[in-house]
Amino acid sequence: MDVIQNVLFGFQVALQPINLIYCFLGVLIGTLVGVLPGLGPSAAIALLLPTTFKLTPVSGTIMLAGIYYGAMYGGSTTSILVNIPGEPASVVTCLDGYQMALKGRAGPALGISAFGSFIAGTFAVIALTFIGPFLANLALAFGPPEFFSLMIVGITVLTYLSSGSMIKALMMAGVGLILSGVGMDTISGKYRFTYQIQSLLDGIGVVPVAMGLFGISEVLLNLETEIKRDILTTRVRNLFPTLKDWADSIWSIIRGSVLGFFLGIIPGGGAVVASFASYAIEKKASKHPEEFGKGAIQGVAGPEAANNAAAGGAFIPLLTLGIPANPVMAILLGALMIHGLTPGPLLIRNAPDLFWGTIASMYIGNGMLIVLNLPLIPMWVKVLKVPYYLLYPLILLFCLIGAYSLENSVGDVIMMLIFGILGFLMKKFRYDGAPMILALVLGQKLETSLRRSLIMSHGDFSIFISRPISLGFLIVAVLLLVVPIITQRKKLSTLKED
Amino acid sequence: MGKADRISGIFWLIFSLFISFESYKLGLGALNKPGPGFLFFWTGVVIGILSVTIILRSIGKRSLDEAKESISGKLNVTKIVLVLLSLFLYALLMEWLGFLIVTLLLFIFLLGVIEKKRWWFAVSVSLLITALTYMVFEMGLQSQLPKGLLEFLRF
Repeated sequence: MDVIQNVLFGFQVALQPINLIYCFLGVLIGTLVGVLPGLGPSAAIALLLPTTFKLTPVSGTIMLAGIYYGAMYGGSTTSILVNIPGEPASVVTCLDGYQMALKGRAGPALGISAFGSFIAGTFAVIALTFIGPFLANLALAFGPPEFFSLMIVGITVLTYLSSGSMIKALMMAGVGLILSGVGMDTISGKYRFTYQIQSLLDGIGVVPVAMGLFGISEVLLNLETEIKRDILTTRVRNLFPTLKDWADSIWSIIRGSVLGFFLGIIPGGGAVVASFASYAIEKKASKHPEEFGKGAIQGVAGPEAANNAAAGGAFIPLLTLGIPANPVMAILLGALMIHGLTPGPLLIRNAPDLFWGTIASMYIGNGMLIVLNLPLIPMWVKVLKVPYYLLYPLILLFCLIGAYSLENSVGDVIMMLIFGILGFLMKKFRYDGAPMILALVLGQKLETSLRRSLIMSHGDFSIFISRPISLGFLIVAVLLLVVPIITQRKKLSTLKED
Repeated sequence: MGKADRISGIFWLIFSLFISFESYKLGLGALNKPGPGFLFFWTGVVIGILSVTIILRSIGKRSLDEAKESISGKLNVTKIVLVLLSLFLYALLMEWLGFLIVTLLLFIFLLGVIEKKRWWFAVSVSLLITALTYMVFEMGLQSQLPKGLLEFLRF
């Protein structure tokens, strides 16, 4: 069995003491980031990326991956205890988790979300082990047209799912695409949109943009609205869910895991969507839907499982196709490229230690998280008590150091600050930053594959629809663009009839 | 969001016109040999169309809650501007003054001036944080932070 051999090889890599340490550091920092509101996994990975430069690509990736799935665990803690989601994927957990806490059932709520996360995370990693190589093989047959169409689908899905207006999300994807064009054109060697500015010659990096959009702008927003925190002062007891709790929630966990995993794989999908979808399904499936919002354990278990499974699933398109499914993966893609690796179908062959090592580290990391999360909950609650006037200067300082140490250049710092202002304004004017990041990362590949396809077909656009896989992708993209228009029309006409 | 959409829509419209114009200058090439401006010209056109849609929609729905939702509102504009200014100054001065001095100054400013904490608190916390981050990033992670004026100390 190839798979078993590969997994064993992965464990060999992941169990090296140095990698174990970075896996532990990753999940620890991830949990911390998940606990702290106002600092999401995207910003955290961007901030800490420079700290991995001295590491090997394998250790670096293991740590960054740990931050991502670790944040999913941490996010639930604050949702349940303080009614503040530490990161967006835990918003749903607030609904029933906080209610459970108010009823004195904070312990079981935290417990079931940790165990649910563990089960889901493990499920996702096992599925990743089997599906990953299969998809990578499939993708080896992809030519430029297929990759072009696939990236188009990825961007469309993200705009479709983005919060707020889809038109605005599409615009932001366009802006991201244009940002990716800054610098030297790889085909003609011409400089584009650089205007003799030194720091634009090498193009606009994903990391300073992400730090600005998700780190700096978040702090600026919080400066105007003071975060109020009422921390539940009751002691958290009985972390282990009772047998009845298990019986109530095991199917929610299983449903959440499967649903989350597949939503995670879809480019553009991800943990946030998965958690909302799971909540909706649990409410439909429940015999007592009226209990939802009043402390139903299924409303905690399902979404928590779903967001963890999605976090695992999201690695599939990145590691096998080189296409990030969400902003966090986009930053991770940038990280891998800085380490000199090109994620894509060839990654399994060219860097098997990275591929299998990272997957195996996720098994281990999930185990560490459950050991880490439950006993350390009192400590995380203390972390929450760090006042914001100390926290935000620290976040800002980490952003400044992080951006500077990318290339030891002030240019990146200025770039980050500018995108911080832009991100702040975008939030005020209700534009979503996620499509911009994704398009920025994919931009260069998208353009090359478009131009290569057209060169292949001698300028005939039908190459994108005459090849079945590419056609399939494009049909999905068109449907996603058209469906909202039709449903909106229907809504409008029913409104008029009323 | 009527007014806000109109303002942002106009901004992006100008942006898209600029991009399309610049891309056109870069060269669109032919369809069988697309030039460096090809993709961005059309991206600019699409953004332009979308921003016009946003503007038109915002005129259509003269929003009722416009009075409630003004963009600037009562927010702490001065606080945000001051923080941003200090960050830009940090970036511009960091290579000249060096990490230690500039970080210390930033923290004293943020804690003492912006957050109006007592001066001894601001100074001692700033000293502590500067020292800690220096140890973690420079000594632990070898980030090569700029030394600036303190170059001569060589530690």
